[in-house]
Amino acid sequence: MTTTGTPALDLQGIEMHYGFVRALDGIDIHVNAGEVVALLGDNGAGKSTLLKVMSGAHRPSGGTIRVRGEEKSFHAPSDAADAGIQMVYQDLSLVEPQDIAINLNLGQEKLRRGPLGWLGFVDRKEMRRSSEKELDRLGVRTAPMTRPVEMLSGGQRQVVALARSAIRVNGESQGILLLDEPTAALGYEQTKNVEALIRRMADQGIAIVVVTHDLPLCYEVADRIVILNRGKKVADLAAAGADRDHIVGWITGSRPSMFETAGA
Amino acid sequence: MSTDSVPTSGASVAGADSPGPAPAPSTTTGQDMPRSVSVLVFMRDRGIFVLWGLLIVAFAFWCSPYFFKVDNAILIANAAALTALFAAGVGIGIMTGVLDLSLPGTAAVASCVCGWVLTHGHATWLGLAAGLGAGVVVGLVNGLITIRGFNPIIVTIGTLSVLSGLAAVIAGGYTFPGLTQLEFMGTHRYLKVGDSFSGIPAPVFIVAAVFIVGTVFLTRTRDGIRLMAVGANAEAVRRAGIHADRYRVLGFVISGVLGALGGLVATANVTEANPNASPAIIFTALTAVALAGVALTGGRGSLPRVLVGALILATISNGLTIRGIQPYWATVCTGALLLGSLAFERVLQTAVSERLMAANLSVHQKKV
Repeated sequence: MTTTGTPALDLQGIEMHYGFVRALDGIDIHVNAGEVVALLGDNGAGKSTLLKVMSGAHRPSGGTIRVRGEEKSFHAPSDAADAGIQMVYQDLSLVEPQDIAINLNLGQEKLRRGPLGWLGFVDRKEMRRSSEKELDRLGVRTAPMTRPVEMLSGGQRQVVALARSAIRVNGESQGILLLDEPTAALGYEQTKNVEALIRRMADQGIAIVVVTHDLPLCYEVADRIVILNRGKKVADLAAAGADRDHIVGWITGSRPSMFETAGA
Repeated sequence: MSTDSVPTSGASVAGADSPGPAPAPSTTTGQDMPRSVSVLVFMRDRGIFVLWGLLIVAFAFWCSPYFFKVDNAILIANAAALTALFAAGVGIGIMTGVLDLSLPGTAAVASCVCGWVLTHGHATWLGLAAGLGAGVVVGLVNGLITIRGFNPIIVTIGTLSVLSGLAAVIAGGYTFPGLTQLEFMGTHRYLKVGDSFSGIPAPVFIVAAVFIVGTVFLTRTRDGIRLMAVGANAEAVRRAGIHADRYRVLGFVISGVLGALGGLVATANVTEANPNASPAIIFTALTAVALAGVALTGGRGSLPRVLVGALILATISNGLTIRGIQPYWATVCTGALLLGSLAFERVLQTAVSERLMAANLSVHQKKV
């Protein structure tokens, strides 16, 4: 699935300290374009912290972040967004009373041409058309673009939130998507749909990091699985053929780290 | 709204395709919302117009032949004008996620500033501009304090107190009487046709202009849509890379300007600037806003409905007055109506979510 030699997102030796607590301890992780990396770990293992470092919400105490080979330092989530990194939060961050088209375009609304545009009038029709086109390209059909988000089911909302981020990173040559528990609130069938969407987004060349508790989801969509335990990376292996018992062992900490010898 | 309904029941899975292959992508985009839901949503969004229509019909018969007359309609419109202006201020505030309780104070300060400028021999336009400018300043102060993370209700209660004091300071403890220059936007009537039609009072035009511009702004322009979005979910707007705080301040400024405008129109009506900030204004305005079904949680609601809310209040009090019923019964009526509308909305809301839940089961396959 890898398309280039340089990873889309590459973190080296990331350290994160809160006072005396070491939340992240020398984490190396990378994700290539078109690759889905699942980030696993027990509660408090440092998954969320790592995701926040990637999204620019936290500044790491040490280590380097490279986006497509270029070293970056993020001071705010907007810096990460500028570098082509989008995060889908667990609460989805949708504006419920507004319709799908507005939600997909929020922050980059299309204005009408001519004098009305100078006055700040939006072109709702054009936004609907382009939203529909983008969703078609992602292969999702949720509901009419004029439907308010508050009238969508949980799965449909998740799809809208994912699609919004996908549309945003697609403007970049190779975008990076960070997903926080994308299926936590979904039923079986909706989970399947979201899995399919994640896979399709990866096939379009987007690099994806998924934080999840959902092991079946990992096997379904991930190319690679990275496991954290108490702030350390304990495993990094291809998802295909990974032994389920081993994975659970790494998550709970009953199985020694893959990198014990190298790290010591 | 409780629609984060996740239909996970086994029945839905059993009814769908077997889990293995993904369901065939369906290309249909058409009507996947049941008719009944559309009707219910229509009732929720437009119910107040229906209610107003019913009221008018009822009064037309009950108060025949005095009620259903052009002259009486103008009377109602004029009576609703002030409430409507303040309701627009409160309404836009609530839609953008802030409850601005300082409006009576803003109105008093604006009218006293205007009165001071006019009694010191300056031009009328300068007085009006100074009054509206006071509204902008009040809005800015309210907004800039609130975005520091303070509760807007407490902040605006504080500024209300400060402002009503300031208004009295400006007026030196008295009032500014005899502001006849303002008559053109007070009791003056326009579009007079001979003896048959006595014309439409100025406040009605002002209200019409405010509501048309406001509605277009909130629904058609980028800033208006973002303003509404901030009211619904400021954090989401911030994450979309927009300075959400600026829009919150903007909400306060609009609210302040409308409060100031209301104060100026009230001043023009009586040609006297009075420093007394009457908190009753805010409660009447809130009644109209609540009647219009503007959720206090923000992000929802529409200005035309707020206007109709104000009109309903005026219609009730007008009709009862014609029948010679004591005016305090009008407040009893509006209160009862408000409570009734709450119950009505609750019933509709549950009905919609129930039907949507059922509908979402059947539209599952269309998602892929």
